[in-house]
Amino acid sequence: MRIIVIGAGKVGYALAEHLIDEEHDVTVIDRNEDVISRCSSSLDVLCLKGNGANAKILLESGVEKADLVIAATENDETNMLACLISKRLGAPYTICRIRDPEFNESQMLLQNELGIDVAINPERATALEISRLLRYPFAGSIESFAKGQVEMVEFRASEKDPFIGIPVKKLSEDIPSMPKVLYAMAERNNQVMIPTGDFVFMPGDRVFVSGDMLKITEYFRFLGRNRQKVRSVMILGGGRISYYLSRFIVPMGIHVTLFEMNQEKARALSELLPKVDVIWGDGTDEDLIEEQGLSQMDAFISLSNRDEENLISGLHASRCGVPKVIVKNSRLTHLDILSDLGLDSVISPQFITTSTILRYVRARGNRYGTKIERLYRLVDGKAEAMEFIAVKGEPYIGIPLKDLVIRKGTLVAVIVRQNKVIVPFGNDHIEAGDHVVIISCESGVSDLNEVVYR
Amino acid sequence: MNRKLIIRVLGAILCIEAIAMIPALAVSFVHRDGDSMALGVSVLLAGIIGVCLFFGVKTDKSSHLRLKEGFIIVALGWFLLSLFGALPFMLSGILPRFEDAFFEAVSGFTTTGASVVTDFDHFPRGVMLWRATTHWIGGMGVLVLTLALLPKLTGRTAHLVKAESPGPSLSKLVPKTGETAKILYSIYGVLTAAEFIALVLLGLSPYDAVIHAMATAGTGGFSNYGASIAAFQSVPVEMTVSLFMFLFGINFALYFKFIMGDHIKAFYRDEEFRWYFFIVVLSVVSISLLNLGYYHGDYLTSLRYTVFTVCSTISTTGFVVTDYSLWPVTSQMIILLIMLIGSCAGSTAGGMKVIRISMVFKMSRRTIRAAGHPQKVEVVRIDRKAVDETTLSQVAQFALMYIAVWLVGAFLLSFDGKYDLLTHLTASLTCVSNVGPGLGAVGPVYNFAGYGIFSKLVSSLLMLFGRLELLPMFIMFTRSAWHQY
Repeated sequence: MRIIVIGAGKVGYALAEHLIDEEHDVTVIDRNEDVISRCSSSLDVLCLKGNGANAKILLESGVEKADLVIAATENDETNMLACLISKRLGAPYTICRIRDPEFNESQMLLQNELGIDVAINPERATALEISRLLRYPFAGSIESFAKGQVEMVEFRASEKDPFIGIPVKKLSEDIPSMPKVLYAMAERNNQVMIPTGDFVFMPGDRVFVSGDMLKITEYFRFLGRNRQKVRSVMILGGGRISYYLSRFIVPMGIHVTLFEMNQEKARALSELLPKVDVIWGDGTDEDLIEEQGLSQMDAFISLSNRDEENLISGLHASRCGVPKVIVKNSRLTHLDILSDLGLDSVISPQFITTSTILRYVRARGNRYGTKIERLYRLVDGKAEAMEFIAVKGEPYIGIPLKDLVIRKGTLVAVIVRQNKVIVPFGNDHIEAGDHVVIISCESGVSDLNEVVYR
Repeated sequence: MNRKLIIRVLGAILCIEAIAMIPALAVSFVHRDGDSMALGVSVLLAGIIGVCLFFGVKTDKSSHLRLKEGFIIVALGWFLLSLFGALPFMLSGILPRFEDAFFEAVSGFTTTGASVVTDFDHFPRGVMLWRATTHWIGGMGVLVLTLALLPKLTGRTAHLVKAESPGPSLSKLVPKTGETAKILYSIYGVLTAAEFIALVLLGLSPYDAVIHAMATAGTGGFSNYGASIAAFQSVPVEMTVSLFMFLFGINFALYFKFIMGDHIKAFYRDEEFRWYFFIVVLSVVSISLLNLGYYHGDYLTSLRYTVFTVCSTISTTGFVVTDYSLWPVTSQMIILLIMLIGSCAGSTAGGMKVIRISMVFKMSRRTIRAAGHPQKVEVVRIDRKAVDETTLSQVAQFALMYIAVWLVGAFLLSFDGKYDLLTHLTASLTCVSNVGPGLGAVGPVYNFAGYGIFSKLVSSLLMLFGRLELLPMFIMFTRSAWHQY
């Protein structure tokens, strides 16, 4: 597809990088000369310097022939204008990043009037992600596939877990009472692996299991992990994510204590969020948060603007014995170090935004020949999960999986047949019309028959 | 350093060179001039070594090419290309000495067209075709060709095109580098074919037409006749070749815009083209008038030779119809000036490039104005858009380095005590600008055969410096380029 990305900040750049990998023709527009020269030297894209909301620049970028326009600048108004103009100039589909909650209120109206097909709110998406994590506090991350019928949950294996030290293929014999889930992936020493039958889990591994919601719940009950339930949360920083997050989790019956340094902001938040305890003060002040009962909290979420502060506060909270710690990180790389320190849930709004937008692009791409229904980026982009629909007449149809060759580094994770979830084992087979979720350690898979064949 | 990736790309370049030799090999079989063996061995050597390098090394798909590595690949690639390109000349016994063969190959690939060949009557036709083919490949660039033919060798291929394409900034036509390379070569191919057809219609034999079309396309200037285009003594042929020399000096991006629906306004809206056109017209008018006396008042004759010489020089082709070293000194001076300027960025021509000259001109004008108003803020505009200061300073530095390379080259050539100062100065300039003939003992009716080994090697280097626009070659001589990190 021909895609125009307006704004090559963190999100725009990451988007362009992934879109090129998926063989799209990408044109990047940015106002900043330095950003443009960085893009043109490191990415195989066409770069244009200028304002993305300028019709002349958009015409120069060939907007009338583009299949998709993504406006991802820092500025909401620029994004909306860029989408409006692009649509008028003939772009068939526009994706817009809108972050201001004020605009969010009138989102439908704006979308209809401005010709925005998808509006992405990074802060809201991040808050949603965090709220999901709070629902399953034992999980480092949660992905749901096939319209939410299948979930993949990440957790860290501990020495007490019964599956430690037993090869995967013998698990069902040795521990018959354990609910059957699929061990989809494992991460050890920053290496993502697809467990084969001989794979043995070790304490400290990050384990990814998938199955339908019921099975997953049973599984974690068996492991004794779902006893922790989040009832009280402490949030650091009163930004937009905190606002959305409070709106999501207060109705779930969770008590929220929120720290904000700026007095006016604190007042405004307390006005907007009546059920939340808003504390005016520095959330990095150990005495202050201890006084507010840090060690009794079920979860601690650090969402301030400074990554370093978030990490330190998070480490402190986890040392004080808070069972679930989530920290926001927007800039720093090499997050692997953090999991060594015990911080499993690191959230990056940019990563979430990029993944969300890519998902829409993929869905759009279906019309242009790619067979992937949906794409999920997993483990900081080290692995991917892909949803396919099995097509009638393909060679893999109706043959038990154990008789098929399965591409190295990939796994048939889930088959959904008429709203029934099947966690596939050797005797299961794929039928036409099934939704099949594939997990792969390497990118480049674009069709189901590249994964399973005879 | 990403050694493996560099080796693979170099392997790909050799493979392409081997393939490019095949037409010459086929011609040698048809004409049986005794050069089949030489070409056959060259194809095999380049092909086998290329395939070994390309398939012998495994690279990660994810391995990226750094900017520095891009420069190194381009410099090494051109060096290798010339080494293997020299094989047919050496093996066939036409230029048995290494320095002669290497000079001829470099001169071919850099589209200079300066030659050390003295005996054109016994030149085997297969090798002669190869000599012209080097122009065609070198004109648009071998890495551009590699990218057009072998997509997805690595990420960040823009570095390679950037290091090889002439001009201060790379203008991509479409988002993907590989696609851009394909489009460029298609335009190039179509234009070459058009000239070939035109020349055949004017009565040239297909063999002569192919050789001259390829030499014009690359703006090289190798002819299979010692007298160059003058051998045909035909006004229509001269005018056709002039027209195509002018056309190949235009930025190829403009042809793309022309096809994409901008039509003729693609050209006149482009500032660099307007400058180029203006310089050509101005030179033609002034030289043809200055030469009136030399041609005994026959303006049409004067115009005929002037148009051809100006087009041949500014496009840095170097075809010859008349000995311009006999013209009035002012005319010769203008020829030297347009030799230095060259044609448009993004064309197949050499020289400093018109866009840089216009930027330097505007910068100087700004400096002079600012002398009286130190506080005045003024941007330099090209195509009505402000050029950023980094680019400007790079262009100014390029201009200085270019002149420095020219003068240092002339200094090194001067060790060859045989000739006068004019010869050395123009020889160095004609090499750096990739033109071909100079003045004095390297004038239009002579060539570089008289120079010694050292001077031939220096000239070869100068041609590479000029074709690759200095930086890739300079980087080769820095220690940090070879530093492992």
